[in-house]
Amino acid sequence: MKYICSICGFVYDEEKEGVPFSELPSDRVCPACGAEKAMSDPVKENMPQSSVAEDISSDNSHDMEKLSSGALSLLFSNLARGCEKQYRPHEQKMYQEIADFFSAEAKKEKAEGDLVSLVNDNLAGVYKTAEASATAAGDRGALRARLWSYKVEMIARTLLSRYEKEGEKMLENTSVWVCSVCGFVYIGDSAPALCPVCKVPSWKFEKVE
Amino acid sequence: MKWKAVRNLRLCTKDCLCLYVCPVGATDTEDSIIDVDKCTGCGDCAAACPSKAISMIPAEMPLPQEKKDEVLTGMRALLEAKSRERLLASALSEEGPDGKRRLMRALEKSFRLSGEDIAREAGFMLPQQEESLNLLESILDNPPQGFPEDSARAILSSFRKGDR
Ligand code: SF4
Ligand code: SF4
Ligand SMILES: [Fe+2]
Repeated sequence: MKYICSICGFVYDEEKEGVPFSELPSDRVCPACGAEKAMSDPVKENMPQSSVAEDISSDNSHDMEKLSSGALSLLFSNLARGCEKQYRPHEQKMYQEIADFFSAEAKKEKAEGDLVSLVNDNLAGVYKTAEASATAAGDRGALRARLWSYKVEMIARTLLSRYEKEGEKMLENTSVWVCSVCGFVYIGDSAPALCPVCKVPSWKFEKVE
Repeated sequence: MKWKAVRNLRLCTKDCLCLYVCPVGATDTEDSIIDVDKCTGCGDCAAACPSKAISMIPAEMPLPQEKKDEVLTGMRALLEAKSRERLLASALSEEGPDGKRRLMRALEKSFRLSGEDIAREAGFMLPQQEESLNLLESILDNPPQGFPEDSARAILSSFRKGDR
């Protein structure tokens, strides 16, 4: 039997490895991307793609005015990046200024709560509803963005739970890397050759000091 | 499609051919940014540049496809979720031992990048699209204290120059 990592596609072949997947330690992570063991699924012939038949919540009352300062900050910093790609440095600077204003506003309120449970709640909640609505509408752009974000989030969850268990030892004498395109986080001495989520080369990774 | 020339300042050596070939003098500017008002989009400078520093890009970006309301609702909820995660990671990166700080700084960056990507798909793809400009205007209607109003107005006038 073979097992495939649902984050990066790494295949574990029981025959070649000589150890059944089920007998690997429960804290075993994917050697390619660091995803937890439970993220790998058995490879079946003609594996059906995960079918999403969730009922879409009928609450469609989205309201622009209701975007929080934190969300506005992300929205405007992305528009600043858009200006950069279009070689519009003046507009880039001004959009970034607006993003920084909202970021500072958002940070005035003390962020509280437990990050692990927030991540878990989001994985079980908003990610599912966003997938259902984008699937129903056949919106490939939204599906792509949701999937990258979801994969990156699964890795974040794995790292957070590893840190809870291992503490500082997990990060001693090693580096933390972030893919500057999709946000994939990697712990290791050097950045991976290819980002397992968005497939950009290692030089797109930034080391976090 | 109508095109215009843009120069990548990181590649440009600032000393050569495009200055001579441009028929309208659009490449010769103080800040090295090609003058969009003069450029006719002929492409001569891009072809002449020995450093491949000039690209031709569409003068007007095609409008992004319209999004269904349900998709906007879903993606905006996700955007808010990423924002909360980012703010929490940011707060956590300011306390505790070095390893934890680095991990939280990495997560803050990660959540921000995801959030920005989600924002594009939440109906704010391009800096010049109507939704983005309308949002700026609605903030200007009742700006929070300290909001950089001049910058918002300057963005509006720069992107709306054509049709106003
Ligand atoms: S595209 Fe033509 S008009 Fe525009 S800057 Fe280049 S040479 Fe000048
Ligand atoms: S020809 Fe190319 S390298 Fe030379 S000044 Fe123009 S853009 Fe810069
Ligand atoms: Fe990536």
